[in-house]
Amino acid sequence: MLATVAQAVVNGLLIGGIYALVSIGVTLIFGVVKVVNFAQGEFVMIGMYISYFLATRFGIDPLASLVVTMPTLFVVGVLLQQFLIRRVLALGDMPQIFLTFALSLLLLNVMLLLFTADYRTVQTPYTETAIHLGAVYVPVAKLIAFVVAMLLSLALWLFLRGTDLGKAMRAAAQNRDVAMLMGINPDRVFCVAVGVALALAGAAGSLLMPFYPAYPMVGQVFVLMAFVAVVLGTLGNVTGALIASLMMGVAESLGIQFVGADSGLIVVFLMLLLTLAFRPSGLFGGWTR
Amino acid sequence: MPKLRTSAALWLSVLALIVLVLPLAVPSHFAIDIFIRVLLFAFIGVAWNLMGGYAKQLSLGHAAYFGLGAYTSTILLIRFGVSPWIGMLAGGVVAMLASLPIGAVCFRLRGPYFAIATIATAQVLMLLFLKFRDFAWGAEGTTMPNLGNSPLMMQFDAKAAYYYIALVMLAIGLAITYRIERSRMGYYLVAVGEDEDAAEAIGVNALRIKRNTYLISAFLTALAGTFYVQYIYFIDPNTVFGFNISVEVALVSIVGGIGTLWGPVVGTVLLEATSALLQSWLGSSHGGVQLTVYSLILIAVILWRPSGLLGVLTDAYARVVHAGPVRAREASLDG
Repeated sequence: MLATVAQAVVNGLLIGGIYALVSIGVTLIFGVVKVVNFAQGEFVMIGMYISYFLATRFGIDPLASLVVTMPTLFVVGVLLQQFLIRRVLALGDMPQIFLTFALSLLLLNVMLLLFTADYRTVQTPYTETAIHLGAVYVPVAKLIAFVVAMLLSLALWLFLRGTDLGKAMRAAAQNRDVAMLMGINPDRVFCVAVGVALALAGAAGSLLMPFYPAYPMVGQVFVLMAFVAVVLGTLGNVTGALIASLMMGVAESLGIQFVGADSGLIVVFLMLLLTLAFRPSGLFGGWTR
Repeated sequence: MPKLRTSAALWLSVLALIVLVLPLAVPSHFAIDIFIRVLLFAFIGVAWNLMGGYAKQLSLGHAAYFGLGAYTSTILLIRFGVSPWIGMLAGGVVAMLASLPIGAVCFRLRGPYFAIATIATAQVLMLLFLKFRDFAWGAEGTTMPNLGNSPLMMQFDAKAAYYYIALVMLAIGLAITYRIERSRMGYYLVAVGEDEDAAEAIGVNALRIKRNTYLISAFLTALAGTFYVQYIYFIDPNTVFGFNISVEVALVSIVGGIGTLWGPVVGTVLLEATSALLQSWLGSSHGGVQLTVYSLILIAVILWRPSGLLGVLTDAYARVVHAGPVRAREASLDG
């Protein structure tokens, strides 16, 4: 029994690391640009396909392809901000949500047209290997993904705390107008925020590839989780999103273990609805919107 | 001004006449099927628009009510032999009851929070119905019993019958919207949509207004759910609680013009016509084409005409009417 619980907790934490990369991206864009990016999951999917093709065409290990997916998606993010999101910033919630939402539909369906709904997997030398810690079984691919995800989160945290650009981003998130008065160029800051968020999504894609199949709808799985994590962790709060993601990974995994294979999501969504009912501003912060 | 009103009434009666004789004039099953889809989705769009358009509460979970309506009538029909006509109303009531707790949670949230919470409610319902194997057939779903041509059980041999039912539903939806638009409640709704805090400050009970509108919207959406499963003779959680339903009803309103009486109708006609044309050109084998095109249209509308395409039509109409015959001809030549 104890071993079963421990195993479920470990599984949950490992996948929670991936949720964290996706939800930190969502919360970063929301915090800085004040737009909810419904297409974040699709950028994870694109990261997976890039890694998949690098692996199958050129034999590049999915983990090594991080150096391709992250910069590529950073550039995509800058373009996305510059040419699409920027044009709806003055328009209010509705057009913003629908723009990113339409983008999600577009990317998903274009990929469906190009690559069909087939599952694509990459076999790596470490795909099947695992470490045994007592009775608990730790798959190496997931462990690597978790460790890299935590390192990237730490790097982002250091970037936000320690660099001028990071401080400018936090300033713009707190108060756009005052930040502009201090000489911060909001366009540049917004581009970097969206770029970094998409780079994290791309990283999630590469990290998933050794143990998770790529298919056009795969982003939906992660984006729903990310939304829940972002709300639980208070929209705009990076640390909150990280902790909430890990909690949700564990909750989902315990749900699968003890309620049934199809119940992981029910547990997570109920967590969301309960949180919204009793603490609508999330677990980690006092402000809404 | 009265002249414009009479011409509007004239256009409306011409439109009504065309719509009434359409299934008689067009014998093709494929075409009637598309007309029925247009009417049905325009109807749900109208129901969504009360909430999403006038009150600007962006729901991406209306599939919850669509599915509840569909399952209520189907369970009543198959387990208890109750006519879907009664089941339809029962489904509407179930949806209204469900909208109360859902609303109680979601209405405390604004903008993107609200949208995300509504997605979650529809997903939870879908997952629950996937799990209830004994009660509601689980993931496999079930087919409707075929009772032949029995109007009392909402089953017809002639496709035209479904067409007229959907038409009546749409007419009811539009009539309700028209009434609300011109009532005190309508003005309150728009006020809440514009700025909830300001509306509260001048004495509008925003929570009650949103709750009442949500009740109406949920009821109407559930009627559509019953109609849909009676029409396609099949029900399963992925069809009736699917995210695609929630998306499409919101999409047609946004493309047509949210917070307008005819917006959802214009949006549905445009999107369904595009999708039908694509289908006949490419065949139905190309998964993804339809939504690719929908999303491109949506992005284009948001970037160039965020208030929706209905505005484009009314502008063009006003230009033609006010410009007089000669300039109208020029305008139409221009494009």
